[in-house]
Order: sequence, then structure tokens, then C-alpha cells
Amino acid sequence: MGRSSKDKRDIYYRLAKEEGWRARSAFKLLQMDQEFNLFTGVNRAVDLCAAPGSWSQVLSRKLRGREEKGDAEVKIVAVDLQAMAPLPGVTQIQGDITKISTAEEIIRHFEGQPADLVVCDGAPDVTGLHDVDEYIQAQLLLAALNITTHVLKRGGTFVAKIFRGKDVTLLYSQLKIFFSGVTCAKPRSSRNSSIEAFVVCQNYQPPEGYIPNMSNPLLDHSYDVDFNQLEGPNRVIVPFLACGDLSAYDSDRTYPLQLDDSKEYQYTPPTQLPIQPPYQQACHLRRNNLLSKEDAPSASNNNPDSEKTTPGWTS
Amino acid sequence: VHSPVESSEGPVLTVYSLHPPKSCSSLSVLQHQRIHGIRPRRGDAKAPAQEKSVFGGKAVRLIRLHPLDPFQLETIRPIMELHDWILDVRWMSGDPHPFLCIALAHNSALLLDTETETTLFRQSCSEGCLLYSALVLAHKSWSDTVIVGGTVFNQLVIWKPGDVAESLESKSPVVRRLLGHSGVIFDISYSQNEGVLASASDDRSVRIWQIGNLGGNGGQCGNQNPVCLHVLYGHQARVFSVRLLNSKVFSAGEDGTCLMWDNGQVIQTLKGHRAGGVRALAISSESCEKAIWVASGGADGGVRLWKLGVKQDQVEDNEENLKDLKFPIVICTLDSEESTWSNCRFLVCTDKGGVYEYTNKKWELVWQGPPEFQSYCLMEVASVKIKESLVHVCAVGNICGSVQVFPVANPKGGICLVAGNGKIHSLIWQKGSADGGAWLLASGSDGLVYRWWVEVTKRELQVVEMTSFELPMCTKRWLTAAIRVHLIEDAAWVCGDRRGSLLLYQECQNATMLSGEEQTLLVKSTMENLANKVKIQELTPVSALFGVHGKQGVTSVFEHSGLFYSTGRDGCVRIFHSKMSESQEYILEVLRVQRACKGMEWLEKILILETKVGQEVKPLAAENKESTEINQLCLKNTDKQNVQEARFAIVGFHGSHFVVWDPVRQERLLSVLCGGGHRSWSLWTDEKGHWTENGALAFIKQGAVLTSERTLKEANGKIGWSLKEGIHGRGIGCVHRLGRIMSQRNACWEIVVTGGEDTSVTILALNPKNGEMKVLGVLTDHISSVRALTAVAKQDVGRTALSALVVSAGGRAQIQCYRLLIGCGEWGETSCQVIQVAAHRLDEQWERKRNRHKMVKMDPETRYMSMAVLEQTPDSLILALACSDGAVRLFSVSEVKHHIELLWESFHHQRCVLSVATCCLQDTQCNRHQLLFSAATDGQIAVWDFTSSSLSNQNPSTPIFTIPAHQSGINSLDIYPVCLIDFHHVTVASGGDDGQLTVSQIKIQIVDNSDPQNRLLINLVNQSCIPLAHAAPLTSLKLLNKNQIVSASCDQRVCLWRIGSAGIHHQRAVCSHVADAAALAVWEEEYDQKSGSSAEVVFGDGEESGNKNAGEVCTEKSDTEGAEEGYVLICGCGLQLIHVLV
Repeated sequence: MGRSSKDKRDIYYRLAKEEGWRARSAFKLLQMDQEFNLFTGVNRAVDLCAAPGSWSQVLSRKLRGREEKGDAEVKIVAVDLQAMAPLPGVTQIQGDITKISTAEEIIRHFEGQPADLVVCDGAPDVTGLHDVDEYIQAQLLLAALNITTHVLKRGGTFVAKIFRGKDVTLLYSQLKIFFSGVTCAKPRSSRNSSIEAFVVCQNYQPPEGYIPNMSNPLLDHSYDVDFNQLEGPNRVIVPFLACGDLSAYDSDRTYPLQLDDSKEYQYTPPTQLPIQPPYQQACHLRRNNLLSKEDAPSASNNNPDSEKTTPGWTS
Repeated sequence: VHSPVESSEGPVLTVYSLHPPKSCSSLSVLQHQRIHGIRPRRGDAKAPAQEKSVFGGKAVRLIRLHPLDPFQLETIRPIMELHDWILDVRWMSGDPHPFLCIALAHNSALLLDTETETTLFRQSCSEGCLLYSALVLAHKSWSDTVIVGGTVFNQLVIWKPGDVAESLESKSPVVRRLLGHSGVIFDISYSQNEGVLASASDDRSVRIWQIGNLGGNGGQCGNQNPVCLHVLYGHQARVFSVRLLNSKVFSAGEDGTCLMWDNGQVIQTLKGHRAGGVRALAISSESCEKAIWVASGGADGGVRLWKLGVKQDQVEDNEENLKDLKFPIVICTLDSEESTWSNCRFLVCTDKGGVYEYTNKKWELVWQGPPEFQSYCLMEVASVKIKESLVHVCAVGNICGSVQVFPVANPKGGICLVAGNGKIHSLIWQKGSADGGAWLLASGSDGLVYRWWVEVTKRELQVVEMTSFELPMCTKRWLTAAIRVHLIEDAAWVCGDRRGSLLLYQECQNATMLSGEEQTLLVKSTMENLANKVKIQELTPVSALFGVHGKQGVTSVFEHSGLFYSTGRDGCVRIFHSKMSESQEYILEVLRVQRACKGMEWLEKILILETKVGQEVKPLAAENKESTEINQLCLKNTDKQNVQEARFAIVGFHGSHFVVWDPVRQERLLSVLCGGGHRSWSLWTDEKGHWTENGALAFIKQGAVLTSERTLKEANGKIGWSLKEGIHGRGIGCVHRLGRIMSQRNACWEIVVTGGEDTSVTILALNPKNGEMKVLGVLTDHISSVRALTAVAKQDVGRTALSALVVSAGGRAQIQCYRLLIGCGEWGETSCQVIQVAAHRLDEQWERKRNRHKMVKMDPETRYMSMAVLEQTPDSLILALACSDGAVRLFSVSEVKHHIELLWESFHHQRCVLSVATCCLQDTQCNRHQLLFSAATDGQIAVWDFTSSSLSNQNPSTPIFTIPAHQSGINSLDIYPVCLIDFHHVTVASGGDDGQLTVSQIKIQIVDNSDPQNRLLINLVNQSCIPLAHAAPLTSLKLLNKNQIVSASCDQRVCLWRIGSAGIHHQRAVCSHVADAAALAVWEEEYDQKSGSSAEVVFGDGEESGNKNAGEVCTEKSDTEGAEEGYVLICGCGLQLIHVLV
């Protein structure tokens, strides 16, 4: 396979490296901005579940670039459980988005002002069981929504990743309680084959008398009793919008390494090395053949030099 | 009555009995929620039926299991829906009321009264984060309840919902925290007896904690500072389940294995699921039998069951004496009448040229060769039957062309034969068709194979020389495998050589049809020849497949019911046969290549696998009354040369292990750490040439004879059953229905092929009546995920057999083509023969480059996304493929030439092409116009015109028409043409990533015009769409007829739509448990012709390519306004057959 094969399989992975983004997902936010003008008038932005930091990079480049032109002061806060490499112009908070203290810290950074924009590209550890993964992703989004209700100004915008699965309509109906405009957006840099999409929630208008509350999690909705919402046509649906220019690169297409004749292909190393995965220790043991194995009977019984290593069975 | 095994797939619960292992009853319990757990209510053991709670998602339901024979399931209450995701449910004991303690995903717990369906208590933990797993320890009261939660932050938290702290906003405090895992925790188990808690994690480890008492009276929370006793690393991937049984730990995970641990060590490995891993694990012990039952459920939908016996001390301990013999170099086992391992006899040849036999636990010298047999010698033993007793004949060859042949019982009665004057490279025995003799083949240094007929009496030998074989010229020119076979009416030899060639030698004319006395006759005549010093010409092969097994050579050849199987050191088993060529000569032809698993290159032989219990569907009556009838049928089958491939296991070396490998189940049946290849070995099995789960290996390692422990069905080791066969371990990407076959007794099977991310193609038989599913074959030739399938199928008149040309395509730009012959026996038993027709890869050039590891491959890694048959001629198929590199390509597949060729490509789309579909129109002059529709990620559908004549020469460079249909990618396309008086009306249905369903009606007029660009006049008459037909990507759709559509989506709804004059109307929707739906197959219910109901009308997928291309059928089809009853097979993460009444 070799190191260039991933460049070939995924054009946006390669472009991200070449343009200095920490992850390919940067293009997703850029393409959504093209469609929704997400950054217009935004001075205070929050990036939830920010690591490795590509969306913070986008916020920084887009908002700071404008700041230099003499607009108001821009403040960007990135929140994640784990530490990430520092980014110029981005304040980092290492904290849990389900804690009220995190919300308070965000507001503190904004000097008491609410945020204009909250974005969240977080994805949970997947289990491979679709219903569980969809549920956990929905809970992550609801946790993001909950903290957003503490920090977002009325009329503000919230952008978050969703999985378009079995119960996605329940999430839509919940978001519609808080935002007057909810759209399901699919940037062209997000693969066609993936169930990933983004909700762009515009014009934050919490219901009358709603008091943000972090002490209890925001739970997801359930289908109504007669299951009309489940199999009938009365599902809550939100408009779908494909984002990004058609002339942009196609994330599903496999490109040759030589993209155009004028520029020779050169391998670019990743902008950031991957974070410590949970299976690091297991991989180390596996590489060194140290994983526990069932002792082959012949080895233990026929090798005169070795004692029987198989412990006896007890009944 | 023994306790049953229960398993669930989606919302359906199935119960299996263990004695014998089989499926008993199924019940859909949770409607649209997937079942995650089943919890029995402990209590009155005498109660006639056991109550169980079944939960999944946010739902819980009570069911009752009746311990009848067979077991029966019954739901006893409606579904109870909770406000949060359920992680664990336990029955509270000691209370007459049926109370359930339930742990929820946001680290809260509740107590549910199932009778009144009311929540009695609800309590949250102060640590309010999300849990990935939880364990409830319920006792007599709510205050006794203890919850162990596995948090999103990789911790285990223990808390009591009965403890309410005012200081924590009336939430419950965390009593204990167990830290150590570096990944989320997927499963938790507790053993009361040992006071041990086990946790399985994303970090691929299982941790065992010395926790002490948990739960029970007063709700104990264990030791103050629980110690982590063990960190168990043994899985190659994530660990999904852990169970404790006394001191043993059982863990199962993504690597598809289930490990049994004791004292921190793996003591048993159970593997038997296809890719995707083990998701569910259940353990039970039967104290009376001292055995442990392990049941595992795989992501492949399979359910495996194992019975682990308690290992006893070595019954016989002969190993010590076995090692006494110095410098053994060859080992053979002697067959015996009562074939048991304990009385198995070995014959060993040492490098001093001595032949020793191991009997009565000691070595005895049988024969001592002269000095020229030292340091190099070969030995082979044949067991010849003479009047009900076995005589063992041993042949020993040396470096200077001598072969000593002697009966083991009377070594002095031996004969010395001469095979050239150099090194004897190999010795092969082949038993005669009748008792009393065997052929001996010795491959000499001169490229000749010397042959003798060895006539055996009790103590004497008589040897007759036969014509030698001449091997084809090559280096390493010697024979490695040979069997004697009967072709139509000739005796012949199928051989394999060290160069990797398969050879067919025909026996001399006068030696045909030998049996008994005739053989003696031949012997005499040959003796006369010898006496007359008549120079006999060596035999040369009549057919040779030169080097098919590669340069490492052939290792064995085997014959089973008319088919030949060869193995080689190229990691392949080749299934081949001989057929008559046009010039009336026998030729060998390879039907199929089966690879062993990755890394298992050195194959030695195959063993036929016995059919297991439950795989045959013969009713008992058949065996008694009508066995003669069956025999006759079998005979008829062989007459027709309708041979079928046997299920076999592959024997070979995998790394340093000797392995018996089941290629269908992808499972090791035997594994012995012997140090790897390059050694003499002998495998003992219950029955020669078969694998019956009872085998042992004798081998030579480090200058000593060693034996493996035998695997035994009973007391020792393990025995496994497959309660339900797995299909694809990972997502299914494509499906194609081939048709229906029926037995004479009207048992019927729907035959479908599926392809998946696990890179395999599976041939399945489905019984739509009872949902039974059988795996007929698994094809593992793809190196990347299989994304598209198409087929052209033919059926015989009685519909008892089906022949299909199946083409699969997928990642790494690979196409494979197969001929499948599927038959149905009288009792509904199915057979499937696979013939590999051809294969193609776009980057074949690259693969052949020698120094490619030093170069950077600049070409794109193309994936094939979709495929359709454009044209079908008697000897070839034209296929259209959607390619990820932005091209639409046409290929021709020739079955006769075994060849796939690229005909045409166009990069018109410049984007990833996602789907293709075809249709055929016929004009008044009967000219056929092939239309190709291709759609890409920009939502545009291009229409291409290929007429029959233009395929070969002038092909279009641009599409004749473009239909804008979606704002993003088009995942699925289907076409329905209707021929009207002077134009064609074509319905194009498309489903997109945007969840939209679009129907474009186009009108096509065929004008008499020689200009290929203007042959067809196309108008978009009407386009209607449902913008959010599905809440998620619409991934697959089918037009049932010109006005009905079935669509499927990742939102797990299967919808039926009607196209009316005013647009598209939603007709019905069904919730499916198949997540990530990717493909659909649809067919109409066929009514029994005998009962005289409606005629066969097939809609949908099965004969799509056949019918639509035929053109003339289209007009007939347009009459059918809508099907009344049909089936939808939806494939994605698993598959589901849905019966649809319209």
C-alpha cells in the first residue's frame, strides 16, 4: 500500500495536508460557510469537541482575517476533554461539555457576552452497533445543544454533526424547538457513502420561559404512541442542502496522484500526528508477540525442557 | 429438559435447544428496536413456564418461555417504552411482584412494576455522564440495588440508587471508582462466588478486579480499594463481551474469537465467526456433566455453540518413549481396522536407514537397510486389504535409485526394485480398485516415474513392472502426487509434479477397466513383455496444466465423486475435472480455485468434511421407506455428470502451526504448534480422507517423534455446532436474486447472491415460507469490498436446477465472473457448484511490475460502484460499470474464452460515477437500441446510446441526453421501458444521497437516421419528486412495474410508492432492522402452478437483465398494473426478508 495510497483514496485528506489543515473536516465547515455565510457578523465563536482543531483553524483564519480589516475584536474558544496543540488566536478550555463550569468559563472568556456561533464536529467512540452509535451521537449532539443554550445569543447559529440514521427525525423535531431554521447540510467534502451530515440551526429562539439547565441531561424525544411518526408520512423533516461548489473536488472520486500536469506530486506528511489511541498498549503487545495465547498442546506436552504451563482445570 | 440458548437478530428472538442443537421457535418482540439483552426471572423453578424480560433501545418487554418440546415463546405484555436508553435490566428477587431494576444510559436507574407498568423509583447518579455499559445488582429491595456503570471517560463507577444525597441535588453519590482502562468499557460482569468484577474495553483488554461483595443484602459496594488482579491482553481487536463462570473468564470481541482465561492465561480459543467479530456471549455450566456450554453470536448473524469438556489427565502417556528413537526422518501411520488413536501404529525411518515400528509403547526395528539407505531415504506405507485383514507394505527409496518394498509383518520377504540410477525423489502408493494389491510409483532422477503393480499375499509380494510416465521437461522434474481414476471408460492417472503442473496420463490401452483377475492377466502379459525385452515407450501426459500451482509445486491430488482436488504450496486448492475435448481427447479443466486463509501458503492436502446434524433436511421417513428411490436419483445424477463439490477442510502449515482449516466457516479445526513446514508428518483421523473432529498429528521435530494431543469429540477439548450460519461479517453492499428452485416435493428455495465489505460473495438459499437460510457457497477471490453484482440465470424446466453466470465487481477495480450450477434434490437439499470463469483488474499491468515496491503508483485506486448488463449474446456479456475515477466503462465477458476485456470508457462525468442501469428498445425494423443510464455524485443522469452494431466500432463520446435529478449523489437508478405505438416511454427512477426520490419520464422516438448522434429523439416529458422521501440517504430502489417503486434507506424504512398522473404517492412504509441498508432485491410471490392460480409473472430484480434486454417482453409487462404479493430482501448490516402485500 505505502504512504501515498491514502492520498489517492481520499483527495480531501491530501488537500488538508497540503493546505496545512489539521484534519480534512476543515473543508466541511468551509463549504457550509459558502452556502450559509456562517461567519457573517460573528465575533464570538465556540468550537465544541474541538480536537484535533481543524474547525478552530477555520474559525481562526476566517474571523481573524476579517479582524485585521478593522472589524470588532474576535474571540474564539475551543473546548475539548483532551488537550490539543495550541492554535494562534484560539483560547483553549480543557473541559467536559456536560458541566456547567465549562459553560461559565466560556462566558467568562467572552467577558459576559453570549456567543454568536457554536460549532461541534464531535463524534463518539463507535461500537459498531448502528443503533447504539446513532444514539450516542445523538446524546453528544444534545449535550452540545444543552451547553449551547447556556452560551448562545438569541438569533445565533449552531452547527453540529449528525448521523442520518433511523431516529434522526426525532433529533430534528427537538432542534426545531430551539431554532427557527434547521437545515440538514451535506458538504461535498463529506463522502456520499457516509451517513454523516450536519445540522445548521439558525436563529436561536428558545421556547417561552425556557431556563437552561445543565444538572440534568437533555434527553432525546420518543416516537408518539401509535407509531404514526415511525412508519407513517407525518415525520418531522428538515430541508436538505448539499453544500459546496460542484467544481470543487469530489470526495467520492479516486484521483490519480498527479492532479495536474504543471505540479509534480510530492508526499506531504500529516499536519498533526494522531492522538494516543486507546489500543496503543494492545498494539505494542501484539507487535512484540506478547498477547496471551492458548498454549499449543504439543509445545507444552512434548517439549521436555519446559514445564507444563497450562494450569490445571478445576471442576 | 436442558436450558436452551436464546439469540436475537434485530427485534426477533429465537430459541434453540441444546439436545440436539437446533432452532425451535422465533418471535418478534421489540417491534422496531433491536434486542440487546434477555434476562430470566429467577424464582420458582417448578413453574411451568419461565418469564423473561427482553430489552433493547428504550424498550423492555416480558415474554414467557414454555419448556415444551420444542420450546415455545410467547409475549405476555405490551412493549414498555422508557425515556432513556436501557443498558441493563434485572429482576428483583424475593418479591412476589414482578419488579425490574433498570440501568439507563445517562447513569440513572429506575424500578419498574411490570404489572402496573409504572415507575416506582427513579434516581440519577451524581456522575451524570453517558455510560457505554452498566451492570445492575438487584436483590430484595430498591435500597439493596447496586449499579456498576462503564462511563464515557473509561471509568467504572459503583453507586447505589437507594442512597440520596441532599448535597448533590438529591442525586446518588459515586461510592467507588475503578480507574485503569484507556478506552470505553463495553461490558461488565460480576461473579458472586469469587467476589470478582470483570470489564471489557475498547482498549482491547479485559480487567479483572478483586472487588469483594457487590449487591446482596444491604447493597454492598465491595472493598474500599479494589485491586486489579489481571489485565488480560489476548484479543487482536476490541473486546465486546466478558462473562465470569467460577474462576474462569470468557471474553469475546471484534477479532471474532472467544477466549477462555484461567489465572491470567488463555486456555481455550474458540473461533468460528466471519469478519465483524463476536457481539454476544453466553456461558452456562452443567454440573452433572462437568461441561461448559459457550454460545456466541456474531456480527455475521451466526450463532455458534461449543461444549467444553473438562480436560482430564493424560490417559495414555506414551510420548516419553516416542522420543527415544534417534534421528527419525520420515514418519507414517499404519491404518488399522479399529481406528483409534491409542492403538495407532507408527512406522519411522531413521537417517541410519532403519525402519522402526512403535508398538506396545516401544520402538522395534523392522528392517535395517544397507549403507546406501543412510542419510537420504524416503518411505511410504500402503495398507492393502486381503480377505478382511490389512497388510501393511512399506517402500523405502534411497539416493541411488533403489526401492526396497516389503510387508511390515515380514520384512525379509521384500523385493528391491530399481528406478533409474539416481536419487528417488518421491514414492507414491495407490490402492488398487480391488483387494490384494497396490500400485507403487517412484519418481527417479531422470524425469521418469517408474511404476509397479505390487500383488500382496499375507507374507509375500509379487511385483510387475508397468510402463513409466515421462514428466514434462522442467527443472525440479519429479512427481509429487498421483491418483488413479476412471474416466468415462478408461483408466487414467491424475498427477501433480514439483513444478506445479497437473498432469493426466492415460493408462495403456490394454490396461483399461482393470479389476481383480484382469489385473493378474495384465501382470502376466507385462511379465511376458519384460521377458521378451520389448522396449516399452514411456507414457506422456495426454493433458497438462503446466505450472498452475506455481513454482513451489503440487502437494496432493484427491478425487471425490467425480471431481479432482489438488493442493499446492501456492496457498490454493484447485477443484478440477476432466472432460472430452472436441478432438475426443481427455483434457483437465480447473473449475475453481479456493485459497486458504491469509498467510497459509503451504497446503498439504484436503479432507472431506462430514455433513453435520441439521444440515440435511431429509425427513426420517425417507431413510427407511424410500432409500431405494434416492439411490436411483443419485445414479441419475452421476449419469448426467452432475457432480457436486464436497465441503472440505484444508490441511497445511500456517506459520509455525499445522492447521486443518475450514474455508467456508473460516475456522481452524485443528491447530498444532509443530514449528511449520519442512518436516515429515502424519495426520491421524477417524476415517481416512475425512475430517470428523477427531484427529491427531504425529510429526518429527528436533530429531524426535512427537505427537499432538488429539482433539476429541467427548471428554477432551471442545466440540462446536453452528446453530445459525453467519452471512457477511460486515455490511452487505449488493444483492442479486438468481431465481427459485423447487424440489419434486415442492420445497422451494430462493437463490440470491450477496457481496460485502468483508470482500466475499455469498451464495444463499432462502426459504420464504419459514425464513430459513442456508449458505451454499462463499467466494473469496475479491481483494477489496464487493460493491456490485449482476447475473444472467437460466432454469431447467422442472425448476429443480438453476445455472447462472454471476459477475461481481468492487474495490481495486476488480471483476470476477463465475458460473454457478445450483440444484435441488428431492427433499429440498441443495447443491452448488462454482466454476470460476474469468477475472479482471484494471491495474493488472501494475501488479506484474517487479520493482513496484520502489515506485509510487500514480494511477487512481479505482473502485467499481455499480454494474449492469448492457447486452447479452450466446457467447458473451457486455457489462457497464460505474467507476470511482469518474469513468463509465464497458467490458465484454466471454465464458468460452475465459476472458474479460475492456471495450470502451468515457470520463464524461468527471466525478465519481455511483450507479448505472440499462434498458433495450426495439424499433419497427427490429433493430435493438441499448440504452445506458449513468449517474454521478453531481445528481445528473447521463443517457448513452449503444446499438448492437456500434458496440464493436463506433462508440459514443458524449451522452445523447442528460437529466438533472438530484442536488447530490445518485445512489440508485432503475429503468422501466414501455413500448407504445410510435415511441417508447421510459420511466427512470432515481434515489439520492439527499433522501429524494425522483421519477423522470422520458419519451424516446427512434428515427431512421444513420447519424449515430441523432438516431434517438429524447424528451423529458415529466419529472416528479418527493424531496425528503427518506430522512436519510436513499440507497436503493426498484421499479416493480411502470408505476410502483420500492425504496430503502439508512433511516431503516422500506417504502412503497405509486407513480400517478399527479406525482408520486406514499403507499406504505415498513420499519426494518437492517441498518445501513445498501441494496434491495425484489420479487413477486409465485403461485403454485398446480393449484391453478395466476401465471408466473416476475417483477423486479431477478430476471431484470434478461427481460428488459429482450425488448419484446416489455409490452407484456406493462399490462401488469401492480403485484399483489411479493418479497423485498433488504441488505445492509445484515439482511431481512420482508413479505409485502400490496
